[in-house]
Amino acid sequence: AQGARRKLPWPYVTRVKLSTGTTIMACAYKGGVVLGADSRTSTGNYIANRASDKITCVTDNVWMCRSGSAADTQNVCAYVKNLVEEHNMQRTNCDPGMADVKMVANVTMQLAYGNKDKLSAGMIIGGWDAKEGAQVYGIPLGGSLTRTPFTVGGSGSAYIYGWCDNTFREDMSREEAEAWVTRAISLAIARDASSGGVIRLVTIHEHGSERKMLQPHEHPACHDELPARCRESIKA
Amino acid sequence: QPSSQRNSTPCEWRRRNRPSMSRGSGAGYDRHITIFSPEGRLYQVEYAFKAIKSVGVTSIGVRGKDSVVVVTQKKIPDKLIDPSDVTHMYKITKVIGLCATGKGPDIRNVVQKARHAAAEFRHQFGYEIPVDFLACKMADQFQVYTQHAYMRPMAAMCMFIGIDEERGPCLFKNDPAGYYVGYKATSAGAKEQEAVNFLEKKVKGANAGNEFSQEEAIQTAIACLQTVLGEDLKAKELEVGIVSSDNRNFRLLKTEQVEEHLTAISERD
Repeated sequence: AQGARRKLPWPYVTRVKLSTGTTIMACAYKGGVVLGADSRTSTGNYIANRASDKITCVTDNVWMCRSGSAADTQNVCAYVKNLVEEHNMQRTNCDPGMADVKMVANVTMQLAYGNKDKLSAGMIIGGWDAKEGAQVYGIPLGGSLTRTPFTVGGSGSAYIYGWCDNTFREDMSREEAEAWVTRAISLAIARDASSGGVIRLVTIHEHGSERKMLQPHEHPACHDELPARCRESIKA
Repeated sequence: QPSSQRNSTPCEWRRRNRPSMSRGSGAGYDRHITIFSPEGRLYQVEYAFKAIKSVGVTSIGVRGKDSVVVVTQKKIPDKLIDPSDVTHMYKITKVIGLCATGKGPDIRNVVQKARHAAAEFRHQFGYEIPVDFLACKMADQFQVYTQHAYMRPMAAMCMFIGIDEERGPCLFKNDPAGYYVGYKATSAGAKEQEAVNFLEKKVKGANAGNEFSQEEAIQTAIACLQTVLGEDLKAKELEVGIVSSDNRNFRLLKTEQVEEHLTAISERD
């Protein structure tokens, strides 16, 4: 009976969780925040979605990068949206659609810490508000909350910590920040099997937010492979 | 108390001292919301309507072909009160507004319930609550208060406005009895009847309620309020809330914009 069951792929697939083994990151530049993510969602060895969107809008000025279990992070994000929406309705001087980034980060942290035994969710909150400007908050697996100038997350982040620490500068312009995030994620995609697909970027600043998608041929490490003369291409 | 009355039982005392049980008398039924009067009236609900009128504020709502406007008086009872905090206009969601007339604390309760209902709906079903659905949920809640013995009705008349994706501009009024319906134009508060008479003259014809432009809707509402109050209003004494097809967010007009409309109305007359 055991042997007969192992021949069918179907029971195995339902037992393996749908995860966003992934690379996500956010970095604050002068005047805003750039959030970046890859687009691969895997169920074991099967890529369930090769063009998924891991950067979700909480409010117009605060977005969230999701890593870990797709179901957990989608539902945490839905709860955060609900709580933040209701909270903002009560504030009389609040612009519709704008929220304090710190408030969103704290709400997310309360959900992550309060359900730490059930959830497998690592999140990055990035946004811009008038009070404190550009902010990036990391909320990893246990439910801690830290504010940092930049942060990386997901399975692919392990491969790029050193490169990011070495090359990050606090006073980048918007174009420099977007290029830096793109390069970091493409390096992670090159080495991490659970990351791949397109690179999605979201830039948030005082006047709004814009989305960008970079197809594989547009980011330096082409088709998940580093080019032959890799040191030159990274410097460039 | 005379000694003869003190010695009798409570029932006998009450029977002797109760006013005559003539038809049409409200005595004896005023206290209990769950009991109908012999004529089929619910006195507590009627008293709630009276409580709303006693506040002395009137509000007007007018629906146009691509916008909805609500206007209310900004009455500041005390010179020491900060005027920027006094309001009858509440945002329930980004795109649904509420103009509530009546007792302030009851209004706060209604606003909280409406906000919570709208947020829950959005979380559960994944799309924004339609205006008529929100009005329906609030009306159901108001009706519950007319049946529970331990709760009184809310002294709040609510006008919900929004641009619905399917229905277009919507204006719904909820009253303490639990009744709700969509309107082309309506009013609430102290001068409700006079305002309705004025509006009936303005909203006529087969296409009534679907033809006002945004300016016409705003000016009809403000002119109605001026007429029923019998005085010229200043921009600072008015709150004008609006939603329109080009900007579905519920917002209040700034004082300068209200001034422009007041000038336009006085030049017209």
